[in-house]
Amino acid sequence: MNILIVEDEHDLAESIIKYLSQEGYHCEWANSFREASEKIHLHTYDCILVDINLPDGSGIKVIERLKRVKSESGIIIISARDSVEDKIIGLEIGADDYLTKPFHLSELNARVKSLIRRRNFDGNNEILFKEITILPQERLVTIHGEPIKLTKKEYDLLLYFVSNPNRVITKESIAEHLWGDHMDMADSFDFIYAHLKNLRKKILEKKGGDYIQTIYGVGYKFTRF
Amino acid sequence: MKLLSLTNRYYLASILPILLVGGFLAYIILRGIINHEFNEKLFAEKKQFIHEWHTYKNLRETLYLNVGDKIEVKAVEYDPEIGSILSDTIMYDSFEKKELPYRLLKFSHKFDDRFYLVTITKSMLPTEDLIQGVGQIILILIAGLVLSLGFVSRAISKKIWTPFNNTIFSLKNYQIATPANINFDKTTIDEFKELNRVLIHMIDKSRKDYVSLKEFTENASHEIQTPLAIIKSKAELLLQNGNLDQENLEDVGKIYEAANRLSRLKQGLTMLAKMDNNQFEEVEPIEVAELITSSLENYEELIAMKEISLTKTYNSSPTLVLNNTLAYVLVTNLINNAIKHNLKQGSINIILNNDELIIENPGQPLSDDPENYFNRFKKGSAQSDSSGLGLALIKKICDIYDMRISYTVNEAKHRIAIQF
Repeated sequence: MNILIVEDEHDLAESIIKYLSQEGYHCEWANSFREASEKIHLHTYDCILVDINLPDGSGIKVIERLKRVKSESGIIIISARDSVEDKIIGLEIGADDYLTKPFHLSELNARVKSLIRRRNFDGNNEILFKEITILPQERLVTIHGEPIKLTKKEYDLLLYFVSNPNRVITKESIAEHLWGDHMDMADSFDFIYAHLKNLRKKILEKKGGDYIQTIYGVGYKFTRF
Repeated sequence: MKLLSLTNRYYLASILPILLVGGFLAYIILRGIINHEFNEKLFAEKKQFIHEWHTYKNLRETLYLNVGDKIEVKAVEYDPEIGSILSDTIMYDSFEKKELPYRLLKFSHKFDDRFYLVTITKSMLPTEDLIQGVGQIILILIAGLVLSLGFVSRAISKKIWTPFNNTIFSLKNYQIATPANINFDKTTIDEFKELNRVLIHMIDKSRKDYVSLKEFTENASHEIQTPLAIIKSKAELLLQNGNLDQENLEDVGKIYEAANRLSRLKQGLTMLAKMDNNQFEEVEPIEVAELITSSLENYEELIAMKEISLTKTYNSSPTLVLNNTLAYVLVTNLINNAIKHNLKQGSINIILNNDELIIENPGQPLSDDPENYFNRFKKGSAQSDSSGLGLALIKKICDIYDMRISYTVNEAKHRIAIQF
């Protein structure tokens, strides 16, 4: 899987590349509009992360070029602009997703995975994690082939965990993933705990493994052992 | 107190003593003149009397005469050796039938080797009347002066202060956030010209300060973005480092948490800055009841977990024309606030009327005037997870749409009411 990161801030690009590389993606970096234009003509990417504010042009133009050459790449805008209008413009010209800076790397990773999944298999794929199988299209989860009933939040939580296996996932990123940014942080942490307890119980009931590990003071980790 | 009534008061205070002293002096001078005239008259009468007494023999038998002025002639055995004595006395007047002041002139006279003592008595009544008259005239003058002073100064001040009132009116309607320039009416009065000049100068300066402060806030909150994103991403990467022990992990976790808080703060400030810049101009009709119900869905779990009992009373279903984002921010912040500052097993009472929205919840008593919490960064407690911007956002949105908001605390019952 090839990913192109169009981002002028070196340190941020480096963090993204490190995180995504650990997921097994091959990452390339373009730090300007010019470099990005060159790269998209030379290679094909499964996913392209585009920053809107580039020193020599707008990331919007990168997306327009991609669309002109009928590129199949998935496009995620990563921008500091957080207004609804900016998001609408970005999605209208053909971006698949819009992530506002500063974002959680785990969130970015989950979005990239979900986008690639949708692109490659039209959403009809399964996500496997040991005995757990997730069918995103049907929003169905089975353990040892047996379906379990999860609430919407429990399902989102499980999918988020499975997208970031063996990662320390901060409670902040989980809270924002589940409730957006309007929820009060301190309150949502209690919730995450409550939802996790239920999720763990439901998995254990179907003889699934206990994969959720608490990292005290930080968050959680979904481990394969 | 109005300037006019104050100046009038001072005028009155300075005029009254002048009038009183003047009146008193007039009285003294007048009395002096009259006294003098009186005495001269008495002496003239004395001369006339002696002349007539010498000339008309039959007069000599008359020893007493009362024709307005009393003249009494008394024959005495020896020379009293009196030149002329003037004195004041009070006597009964048979005509006026009361005691009245009189002045008498006593003198001795020798005639045909006989001595006579003559007393001429003159009523002072006309003098008294005259003085009374003068007093009345002075009083009428005072009253007339004061009244006309009042009228004239009122008329003058109305005319003179017109440019001043216009300036005040312009200032009242002026808002620093609106880019429109302020205009004052032209005036010919130097003092007001100076006032307007200084005001325009001051407003220009504050406008510049306001704009640069606004730009600073905007730039700062924008520029903070990139380093924040770097801190966050680096901290998150560090967390993935398996070599960290628990203590280091927690430290990095705290860095991450703090960066997140800063990022939320930035969001709030950007929001406020955007509102200042009128970047939420697009409006659409919004059903308030529907908005509240759908917003509450996000909080169902939280409300249930905190064991808060929620009561919704929709007495009416008003539709307001608002910006979608702002309406959402307004309602979620109100709900958030009511949940966050609630008590365990508390309650939230939402009442929606045709022209107002009321949200009540029990909570800790406040240490300060509730209205102060509409200021940015004013926090009720040292709760570090509170940005201190929630109520400021609410207030700002209400201001944009001219809605009146009030926050009252009555025996640990917090009540926010918004009138649309």
